[in-house]
Amino acid sequence: MPEIKVTPLGESGAGRGAQLHTIYVFIYVYMCINMCISVYSCVYVGAGQDVGRSCILVSIGGKNIMLDCGMHMGYNDDRRFPDFSYITQNGRLTEFLDCVIISHFHLDHCGALPFMSEMVGYDGPIYMTHPTKAICPILLEDFRKITVDKKGETNFFTSQMIKDCMKKVVPLNLHQTVQVDDELEIKAYYAGHVLGAAMVQIKVGSESVVYTVKSTYATTIRDSKRCRERDFLKKVHESIERGGKVLIPVFALGRAQELCILLETFWERMNLKAPIYFSTGLTEKANHYYKLFITWTNQKIRKTFVQRNMFEFKHIKAFDRSYADNPGPMVVFATPGMLHAGQSLQIFKKWAGHEKNMVIMPGYCVQGTIGHKILNGQRKLELEGSVCVSQLEVKLQLEVKLQVEYMSFSAHADAKGIMQLIRMAEPRNVLLVHGEAVKMEFLKGKIEQEFSIDCHMPANGETATVQTNPSVPVDISLNLLKREMALGGPLPDPKRPRTMHGTLIMKDNSLKLVSSEQALKDLGLNEHQLRFTCRVFSVFSPVLLQVFSVFSPVLLQVFSVFSPVLLQVFSVFSPVLLQVFSVFSPVLLQVQVYLTLSLLLSLLKGFSVQLLPDGTVMVESILIKVSSSPEDPDSKTLLLSWSYQDEDLGSFLSSLLKKGLPAALC
Amino acid sequence: MAERGEADFNDILDDWFIESLKTYKDLHVYQLEHPTQVIEWTSRKTVCVAGYSSSTNEILELQLPLKLFADENKGLCAERDFKVVHGGFTEGPVRCLRHVPGTRCVVTNDGLTSDLQVWTVGGDDSDVIRRTGSVAGRKTRKKKSDSEGGSRIAARHSSQVLHGAQSDDIQLTQLTSGQILYTPEITSSNPLSSLQFVSDDVFLAGCYAAGGASSGSFIRVSSSGLAEISDLRNPGAAVSRAQLSVQSRHCNPGDVKVSWAPALNDCIAVSGFSGLVQIYNTSGWGAELQEVQPLFEHRGHAVSSQSYEGDVFVTSQLWHPERPRTLLSAASDGSVHVWDWVDQSDADR
Repeated sequence: MPEIKVTPLGESGAGRGAQLHTIYVFIYVYMCINMCISVYSCVYVGAGQDVGRSCILVSIGGKNIMLDCGMHMGYNDDRRFPDFSYITQNGRLTEFLDCVIISHFHLDHCGALPFMSEMVGYDGPIYMTHPTKAICPILLEDFRKITVDKKGETNFFTSQMIKDCMKKVVPLNLHQTVQVDDELEIKAYYAGHVLGAAMVQIKVGSESVVYTVKSTYATTIRDSKRCRERDFLKKVHESIERGGKVLIPVFALGRAQELCILLETFWERMNLKAPIYFSTGLTEKANHYYKLFITWTNQKIRKTFVQRNMFEFKHIKAFDRSYADNPGPMVVFATPGMLHAGQSLQIFKKWAGHEKNMVIMPGYCVQGTIGHKILNGQRKLELEGSVCVSQLEVKLQLEVKLQVEYMSFSAHADAKGIMQLIRMAEPRNVLLVHGEAVKMEFLKGKIEQEFSIDCHMPANGETATVQTNPSVPVDISLNLLKREMALGGPLPDPKRPRTMHGTLIMKDNSLKLVSSEQALKDLGLNEHQLRFTCRVFSVFSPVLLQVFSVFSPVLLQVFSVFSPVLLQVFSVFSPVLLQVFSVFSPVLLQVQVYLTLSLLLSLLKGFSVQLLPDGTVMVESILIKVSSSPEDPDSKTLLLSWSYQDEDLGSFLSSLLKKGLPAALC
Repeated sequence: MAERGEADFNDILDDWFIESLKTYKDLHVYQLEHPTQVIEWTSRKTVCVAGYSSSTNEILELQLPLKLFADENKGLCAERDFKVVHGGFTEGPVRCLRHVPGTRCVVTNDGLTSDLQVWTVGGDDSDVIRRTGSVAGRKTRKKKSDSEGGSRIAARHSSQVLHGAQSDDIQLTQLTSGQILYTPEITSSNPLSSLQFVSDDVFLAGCYAAGGASSGSFIRVSSSGLAEISDLRNPGAAVSRAQLSVQSRHCNPGDVKVSWAPALNDCIAVSGFSGLVQIYNTSGWGAELQEVQPLFEHRGHAVSSQSYEGDVFVTSQLWHPERPRTLLSAASDGSVHVWDWVDQSDADR
């Protein structure tokens, strides 16, 4: 039985006290029969400061894919890496894994990548988007430096390992299908969240899985972007007004550009004079990255770049180290983003001691960095190095007196976003995998109501079984296809699904749809025809009959010659004529019969009606005949005969004749 | 070149945001999936909202952003979002919603009949708001056409709910038992526009105009913006009055809402005339009718709404019980704002 298995690897982050839980929304677009999903444990992620790790193994259609390869930031030993021994006991992962996919650059999604590829061993392809490929090595290197150089740890990956790992990366473009091998396909979609974040659709044959970036915020309603920007401007403005200096540590790219444009516009409007500086390290890289990532940025930035070169700002200039000592207010954007080294740290050390100054952290700081510490409220920091004071070594300390502001600008998915995602993916089933005891019952109900699909919510250790209607691929004979197309237009037409008739032949593992004649021939069977005949009784007066039987051959002749016209005439005038004739009915019995039939004609618009020489009326291939009953020569009956193929029309006519005959004739 | 319309809209919006740096301490702007006509406190940090479309609607309990409450370490808190803590589905619109104090229940009315629906919020680790009961309204409707407004609801301790659609069908019902505890002897039948407990034993029923009571005073505002304040001991006589500066659109009297500030003396918030929420200081009002100007105007909804569906109007406002200048407001385009305004006359710049 084919199945899709999903297993998150490694220990759960239980007990980390995370307030918000992770929800992985797995959406299956096509599903196989009786799919079993075993969820052994879930990974917790907290808000803002991510604690926990993502690393998921998916087995689908015989392929094994690793989704993300994150590092657990809370541990300082081997527990921070995922437990790969689950996959294979004998070390190398290359034979087992078909590919690795990284959703975005956060360390809890890619932090263990060099460890996995270089220290455990994996040589296959690693897929990620272009921005992720650009940012990952920077973050990994920064993180490596802190862990090894500062904390003095061993058994960690080296700079060379990071480089070797990145050589195995195959970058993904959005909406482009990539053939990993001749059965496995992947496609990346825009995910918001952070720059370069992607949702990935993995397809093997008719089974597919969509993996989303953790949608921790399925139950949030986000404050508008403008409000966040307003807050940022307010803080900067307040500091500048009181003569303070503002430090904004940023990564090489990301929100820095947007914040710059924001400040520039603000400065212009408010006619502010304080200088804004952008550290040179950022300038070089940023221009380069801009060209690569313009598709990922928003409308505002794109517009600005079209109008002018990004660094031709009126109010923003390149920074020089010596400016940090200048008196008076200023704003400086400097790298690196977590205040753990380099220029931003130097500036921070200079400005930290004054209350008038401010540092604005625009997001995510890895544990161990100064950024992380001050965001946790630490006001005294120990610095590297020491000083000799009367033959005693004294550790350097820094008192943090400046204002610390944490502003999160990253775009997370929210409640509306989740619904949009599901609307777009059109899955048959949705699975919500959550981390905490609080069930997502409301979200489950919302999804079920809005999309009328099943939504499952397995708890830790529970298995969810999803029953679906499989898509069964079937071959169709060319002749049958041609015949159908001749009848009703080109196929396939997704706007107009059609029912067609044929025979399904199941032989070995193949399913083939052929025409009935072909099937009979292939199988060596004889065709049998079924024909139904029924009588519709009508009782006529015996006297009239006598009269009529004399005249009927003559009348018949007349009518058979003129009948097409007469039938037309009758069908138009029949109600009136019927009335007339019913007065004179004794004589005109046969006429009445014809009148009946012409009435029928008017009711049978759209069907071909013919009158045969022997007085039989033929509707399509159904025969209607007036004859005398063998038992009782005085009564006439209507005989109705049709073949099995015309069952629908036949029964329709039968009920029509039984009920539809005017009272005058019955 | 961007279209003129959109560029103008963005400019106006930008202007307002820049202005807000000085005029607001805190400002949060949210967009709900569906507009709400009700915002009610269900605890110190949570509010309930619900949709009012004619078919199925959501009823949500939202937790206010933590940043709003982080007074000392505000800078270190980046949490700016509303969190949906509980949610449920209703079968019709929700025109009136009240939290029953001391319980985890809310009571709603759909504005079409006088019956109430009782809901239990959460419980048992569940995040669902479940329908757990109903209260039948008194059926004294004589004319079928009386469907304006539905029932007004007021709730007090011991799960007692005061409700009614007309002045002559008010009753006090005990929720847990369903028992009717009290029905006032009122003979005149007028559609109720407000119902409120003034104290443990006294309630106020207002007809035809929006009304609000606070300790000792009662204010009513007509759909033309005429405001009258009376002493509760003598509700018939107006102690002071004023003509509010509202531009009345074709205003549905049911949309006008007025409420007293719980922590700011003599101040009221008025909404429903347009996309603005206005704050007035009533201490300067006299017995003679005069036009008054608002102390503060929240223009957020009007400015940020891309009004392609006609003008947006504010459907509901709510004061924070303790923070003197914090309000929540909701508008017909689904926006919900949380704002803490700066009193310009106080500010020493």
